[in-house]
Amino acid sequence: MTSEQSRFLLVVEDSDEDFETVLDAARRTGLKHEIRRAATGDDFLRLLGDWECGRLPKPALVLLDLNTPGTDGRDALRIIRQNERLRTLPLVILSTSANPRDVEFCYAAGANAYHTKPVDYPAHLQMLHEIFDYWLHRVTLPPSSR
Amino acid sequence: MTTPSIEPPPPWAGGAYSIKRHGVSLTNCDSEPVQMPGCIQAHGALLVLRMSDLVILQVSENARAFLGAAPEALLGKSIGDVVSADGARRLRDFLGTEPIDRNPIYVFTQPIADAAVPLDFFVHTIEGVVLLECEPASRDTPDYYALVKKSVARMQAAPTVAEFCRAATAEIRGLTGLDRVMVYRFHADFHGEVVGESKRDDLEPWLGFHYPAEDIPQPAREIFKKIWGRPLPNAAGPLVEMVPLTHPDTGRPVTMTHCALRGASAMYTEYLQNMGVAASLTLSILCDGELWGLIACHHLTPTHFPYQVRAACEFMAQVVSLQLRGAEQREALAYRLRMEEIHNRLIAQAALDAGLSSLTTASPNLLAAMDAKGAAVFHSDRWWRVGETPADGQLDELKDWLAQRPEFRSATRPAYVTDALARDFPGGAALAEVASGVLAVPLSRRNGNVVLWFRPETFQTVKWAGDPTAKPMVPGPHGSRLTPRKSFELFTESVRQRSLPWEPVEIEAALRLRLLILELVVSRNEQLTEMNADLTRSNEELDAFAYVASHDLKEPLRGISKYAHLLLEDAAMAEGVNRQRVDGLMRLTRRMDSQLDSLLHFSRVGRATLQFQSVDLNEVLAEALEIVAARRQEIPTEITIPRSLPTVTCDRMRAREIFMNLLANALKYNDKPRREIEIGCMPVEGEKAPAAGASPVLYVRDNGIGIEPRHFDLVFKMFKRLHGRDEFGGGSGAGLSIVQKLVEQHRGSVWVESAPGAGSTFYFTLTADRSENP
Repeated sequence: MTSEQSRFLLVVEDSDEDFETVLDAARRTGLKHEIRRAATGDDFLRLLGDWECGRLPKPALVLLDLNTPGTDGRDALRIIRQNERLRTLPLVILSTSANPRDVEFCYAAGANAYHTKPVDYPAHLQMLHEIFDYWLHRVTLPPSSR
Repeated sequence: MTTPSIEPPPPWAGGAYSIKRHGVSLTNCDSEPVQMPGCIQAHGALLVLRMSDLVILQVSENARAFLGAAPEALLGKSIGDVVSADGARRLRDFLGTEPIDRNPIYVFTQPIADAAVPLDFFVHTIEGVVLLECEPASRDTPDYYALVKKSVARMQAAPTVAEFCRAATAEIRGLTGLDRVMVYRFHADFHGEVVGESKRDDLEPWLGFHYPAEDIPQPAREIFKKIWGRPLPNAAGPLVEMVPLTHPDTGRPVTMTHCALRGASAMYTEYLQNMGVAASLTLSILCDGELWGLIACHHLTPTHFPYQVRAACEFMAQVVSLQLRGAEQREALAYRLRMEEIHNRLIAQAALDAGLSSLTTASPNLLAAMDAKGAAVFHSDRWWRVGETPADGQLDELKDWLAQRPEFRSATRPAYVTDALARDFPGGAALAEVASGVLAVPLSRRNGNVVLWFRPETFQTVKWAGDPTAKPMVPGPHGSRLTPRKSFELFTESVRQRSLPWEPVEIEAALRLRLLILELVVSRNEQLTEMNADLTRSNEELDAFAYVASHDLKEPLRGISKYAHLLLEDAAMAEGVNRQRVDGLMRLTRRMDSQLDSLLHFSRVGRATLQFQSVDLNEVLAEALEIVAARRQEIPTEITIPRSLPTVTCDRMRAREIFMNLLANALKYNDKPRREIEIGCMPVEGEKAPAAGASPVLYVRDNGIGIEPRHFDLVFKMFKRLHGRDEFGGGSGAGLSIVQKLVEQHRGSVWVESAPGAGSTFYFTLTADRSENP
């Protein structure tokens, strides 16, 4: 982890329980990042707009739930990848759906990874732990400065 | 007949024609100048007068018998010398006022010279001369006007053409007292048929007899278009020649077309004699300027046709001509209504049946409506026949040929109509007996659906006049050059492979039936389209529901799982009964999670399209065994495959999933110390071979716990389990439902044979290649 990297994590999640599970996982793994939540797809797009205007730091990683109210996760994904500045934003899909069509769509639209959320709580925590470990510690992400 | 180039010049070439001199030497009736015969019948006299001064130019050679002076004494004289000055004045007045050109009108009755009987005089003009005919006046004639009036009233009541014709013959016979009166109708080829008859009781009926066209040749038919009546009171009587034979100034023969006394062709008088007829009166029936037919009156002995009788009969002929069209239209209307009524009933029945089979199987059916001997309908990929029709194979050929006919492609009136199929259709000669006449309307071009009506060859249904096998004709006095027998032979040649023609009203009814059927089919298609749309909609809704159920329900479930775990992490909950309850909560979430997964999978199985290919089931089975290998290691099980599996056309992934599910169950539901699974294909040698094209039956057999027969259906139901939740390793209870769905997608079937404790055998078929071997 270098000082240049963002310490800001954006989670798009309409379920309170699932968002808290993300917080639980971050706490249990000692993640230092600030975690911001967008409860709907529209909130998410608004936050991205704030970042573009400089009111918010660029997120190191976005966790995107596919089935969000309002602007659907799929639409949000498409909008982000069509925007030149947002194209390199590391984006990990978290979905209840294991439908091959959803998986195919997300990768085709430019998602960086696709995970199916387990119902079992420990498995859910474990999955989030692995995501944090991989995306925030092991891989090299694009530079956060604009 | 013969062509002009090889015809010898007529015997009268270079001079005037006279029946008396040349008539018997004729060989060709079509060349005889029947309108200028040069002779008249002997029962009256004819004077030809110059129009300007009424001077006698020609006179019949029997002048002395009627006019009291020899022809030589009369020629060049004024007509006043014959009929008196008063008569000449009345005649001149008549010429000036009456429409007598080509229209003989009665002028007066006058006693001439010292004759015992006064003469009736008739006059008309033609080609610049005046023709004055006279014959002995008849006495004590009844009131023909009153008689005819009653006759007309009775004829008008006839509902059909046949009854109308019969009524007309009865009335005319009543008026004339002749032995036989017939209505003789011309068909399109001018052959005639007796369609009405009234006769002396002792005579043979001729009703229904057909006569060749040559019996009334073209020149005679032309005359009948111009006159209403043709009297021949003594067919065998003598002929008298005109003196001189031609006009003294122009040299032209007299045109006698309209003369009642006109001499008859020897051909015709001979023909009548052959039939035993001594006197005839022939009346024309004209419809719309065409010669529809004739009223032929025969008498077996020579007779007289007094002027009043002829006038009454000619009036009757005009009435018949005028009313016949009306009678035909009434009959056509009644026929049309009958056809439409039956067709409507058939369509109503077809709508109820949701099929067209009632057209041929119902009573009444297509054949009851139309005057035909057979009918066939092609629909639902097969023939439906009623009555006398060609065989299926012949109909197939006819149908394929019809599809190429331009008539069938007409946008407005697609119908093929013929009374001589053999002329058009190459295979028509073989069908002539039952299908010389064909009326066909297409129902759809794409499926080749068609309705056909058939009529047999006319030859087989017609009673021929002068049938040689029934009664050989005696040759006439001049040999057998023209007898019904000879003309019969000519005629049968020309009507082979012909049927009675189709009436316009029948063609209209066929086209109307076609429209009714199309409307029915269209409305049925609309219903189907609507139902399909409904089905698609409900399938989509079901998919959406399955999606919601399997995804959105997982979200709260994940929350429940989370809180259960958090509770367990709480030290106070980690003990005793509460601990058990929270464990139960977590077990339930896992179970529900697994059920939602199955539901999702089940709905996905239904949605994705199958990829059919040739699949070696041995490979598929090997893959399935590999996937379930983990469980096999858990519980050691012996797998046997007695013989190798076949290669079939199916979806590879789905076939593997079927084996996986069946193997998983076979592994799971077993409590025996020695566990066995056998996978195979039926039939085994020595058993009955399957029917050609039948799909092989595959099976997965275990020696496990078995199933009670009453549960055989239950095991295929979604989420139905026969055992406790966690017995035999738990499970969602969806495996066999998914197997059933996968098999059904292949149009195969799956079933089970089992007994509790004795193991189970699951059989299934994958008949994806069914379409190739229906």
